[in-house]
Amino acid sequence: MISGFHCISKQPLNRIAGGRILGSKVVGKRTLILEAAMMAMASKYIFGGEARLADKMGNGELYNKNEDYKQLQKEKQLQRLKNLKNSRPMEPNYEGHIPLWPSEKLFLFLVSGIRSFYHPENGINIVQLGESTAIKPVLDHLHHTMLADPIGRRILKDKPEVKENTLHMETLANYPKNTFGYQFYTWCKRENVTPDTRAPIKYIDDPTHAFIFKRYRQCHDFYHALNNVPIIIEGEITIKALEGVNLGIPMALLGTLFAPWRLTKIQRERLFDIYLPWAVNSGLKCKPLINVYWEDLLDKDVNEVRKQIGLFPPPDLRTIRDQRRKELKDLNEKYKNLKEEYN
Amino acid sequence: MFSRGFIRKLATSTKSTPKITDILIVGGGPAGLTLATGIQESPILSKYNVTLVDGNDLLNKVGDFYYDPPSYFTNRVVSVTPQSMKFLTEKLKVALLQDRIQPYDGLYVNDGITDAFLEIEREEMLYMIEILNIQSSLLHKLTTNSINSRVNIFDNCKVKSITSSVKGDPTSWPLVELANGEIYKTRLLVGADGFNSPVRNFAGLYSRGWKYDTWGLVATLKLDPQSLPIYKLRGWQRFLPTGPLAHLPLPGDNASMVWSTGGNEMSSILMEMDSKLFVKMVNAGFILTTTDIQYYLDAFKKGTLTTEQIIEDIDDRINQVYSSFKDETQIDEKFPPLVVDVVPGTRARFPLKFSHADSYVTDRVALVGDAAHTTHPLVGQGLNMGQHDIEQLLNCLERATLRGQDIGSVLSLEPYWANSYGFNNIRLGMADKLHKLYHTDFTPVVAMRSLGLNIVNQLNPVKNLIADIMTGR
Repeated sequence: MISGFHCISKQPLNRIAGGRILGSKVVGKRTLILEAAMMAMASKYIFGGEARLADKMGNGELYNKNEDYKQLQKEKQLQRLKNLKNSRPMEPNYEGHIPLWPSEKLFLFLVSGIRSFYHPENGINIVQLGESTAIKPVLDHLHHTMLADPIGRRILKDKPEVKENTLHMETLANYPKNTFGYQFYTWCKRENVTPDTRAPIKYIDDPTHAFIFKRYRQCHDFYHALNNVPIIIEGEITIKALEGVNLGIPMALLGTLFAPWRLTKIQRERLFDIYLPWAVNSGLKCKPLINVYWEDLLDKDVNEVRKQIGLFPPPDLRTIRDQRRKELKDLNEKYKNLKEEYN
Repeated sequence: MFSRGFIRKLATSTKSTPKITDILIVGGGPAGLTLATGIQESPILSKYNVTLVDGNDLLNKVGDFYYDPPSYFTNRVVSVTPQSMKFLTEKLKVALLQDRIQPYDGLYVNDGITDAFLEIEREEMLYMIEILNIQSSLLHKLTTNSINSRVNIFDNCKVKSITSSVKGDPTSWPLVELANGEIYKTRLLVGADGFNSPVRNFAGLYSRGWKYDTWGLVATLKLDPQSLPIYKLRGWQRFLPTGPLAHLPLPGDNASMVWSTGGNEMSSILMEMDSKLFVKMVNAGFILTTTDIQYYLDAFKKGTLTTEQIIEDIDDRINQVYSSFKDETQIDEKFPPLVVDVVPGTRARFPLKFSHADSYVTDRVALVGDAAHTTHPLVGQGLNMGQHDIEQLLNCLERATLRGQDIGSVLSLEPYWANSYGFNNIRLGMADKLHKLYHTDFTPVVAMRSLGLNIVNQLNPVKNLIADIMTGR
């Protein structure tokens, strides 16, 4: 190996010594060698042992024989943490807030957007997409919508939380059957969800805006329950479309635009023929859903509540699905019977 | 054959014979009185016989203000530039009531929708002063130096008619008939008679402009002594979509307010409100969102909330906004001192309009002040333009007199118009464009204007230029 290298490298050297066969190229190679030699000399003075010694002298490290290495390590760690903190000077504005730079928000949006498209069933993706797209103008608009309405103002003032213990889920079961509270209870049982499954807000900077977005997120289940829409993907897209049209939430609109691409043909047809037209129509007609004090409506008659909000449920998705499944089953059986007969 | 003059004599001798005067000033507002004082103080012009006519009780009602001013501040307050102040106190040697003047050191202007802001700071950049203070000080000056004075003031006396002494000859001396029957024949007729100027109508000078469909609501406010700034007294202006709301400091715990309210309805609602609620609405106007303000106005109009409920709600919301500040010192930076009361009887409103006469001068006639131009009060230049007019007119009259010209001829008067039209047009245009730019809540416009305001706020040379125009440099 070495000798081979030697052989190859020797050839041009000989030629250089030999004369002007290669012309100007020869001169170029000679300067390369000179440069390399100069670099080696220079690096000796910059990185060499003497230079390192001089650095140590300058830093006062040379004569400290009894160094406490553990202490030093700790100091270095603290310094690193401090540097890290200085690179992120924003203090959290409320409990659980994670302040992000705008570039980080953009990145969060891109990543969560792609992930939401491929894994819409994973809640964390949708949560992150929702927060990263909830830009200030949208939240300001929602804030003003609430401020312009007496009930919206009351919600802003009370800052209610939709939680299992604030709603008293167990008492809802004892409500009369025609109340919205009972409807909500049975819907939660049927879909196997509880109001506590909603994630807290992390990335929205303004505390008031964070509350408004949390309120929107927590009320999402009420929209489902009032309209008796299940949490399977078609139902989610329907409710997202309703929210997007009614409140102008970007994540909901994005969901309505992109989520149907992943559906099967029959699901998409159902969505486009029945549910999206219903969502757009209802979203434009009913009052802003953020201005509904759902907690006050739990003991009201469910049809009264629907009339008050101006929102009436679409055909039941689960029934339609069951019907189709039954039809398919019947057809299959028919086909099987025919086949048997034929045979 | 009788001469034409003889027939005229017969015709007029049945009434009273016209008295001759050199300069007749119609209108005893700040402009008219400043001009009269300027003529009296000028060594070149003081030989002229000057007659000032005003329809109001000038000498007693306005004049007494100087000797016995009320304990409160009156509601007609103007912002005066150092330039106008210098003209009044140094050139005309007027002794204003100094303890009723408030100089201030900066302006904080912000957008009511986005909270983009512009902060201009300059030591003693402007002075807040009552119009009555200016008027009465000028009257004091005019009446106390009466030994050599050739200025005659007729108050409580309206102008009945103005005609040319020779019909069809605009260069002939105008005849001014007063309500008390006296007739004056004047070499130069000066119209300082406000927006509906009879002098301008007589001269046939065309004034173009428009109404704003906006009412200016003024009031004298009492401030919370605890929230008074210790240093850096500032003027505040917030551009709400209905019109700008301005808070300007007066001595002590007083402040003057001008709220330009779009449409007749909003201003009348604010006028009829209980003073307690009105005070809260002013605070809300500076601190809360436009949606809040509209909500309160609607609630008051429809009666869905009682006065007490609205007051409570405003207090709640103001606390909400205050508590959203991490650094409490920022509250004093962003909002003016809180208002606790309004001086009774100082709430008044007037319609706002824009007008500018094509020319201020013609044969024997000159227009000054509001007769020549009226403006939206949002840049606080109304009085200063009038003062500038008078300074220029005095220069013109002096030059004409030294050259032996007839001071009533267009030749003498035209430089006055030439020197003031551009100056006024900049300021009138500025107020008009700002009003239009901020009288909308159309999102793209709001975004662009906020971006612009934020950029200007970072550019000190531009800010200095604005401050120069506003302070009249």
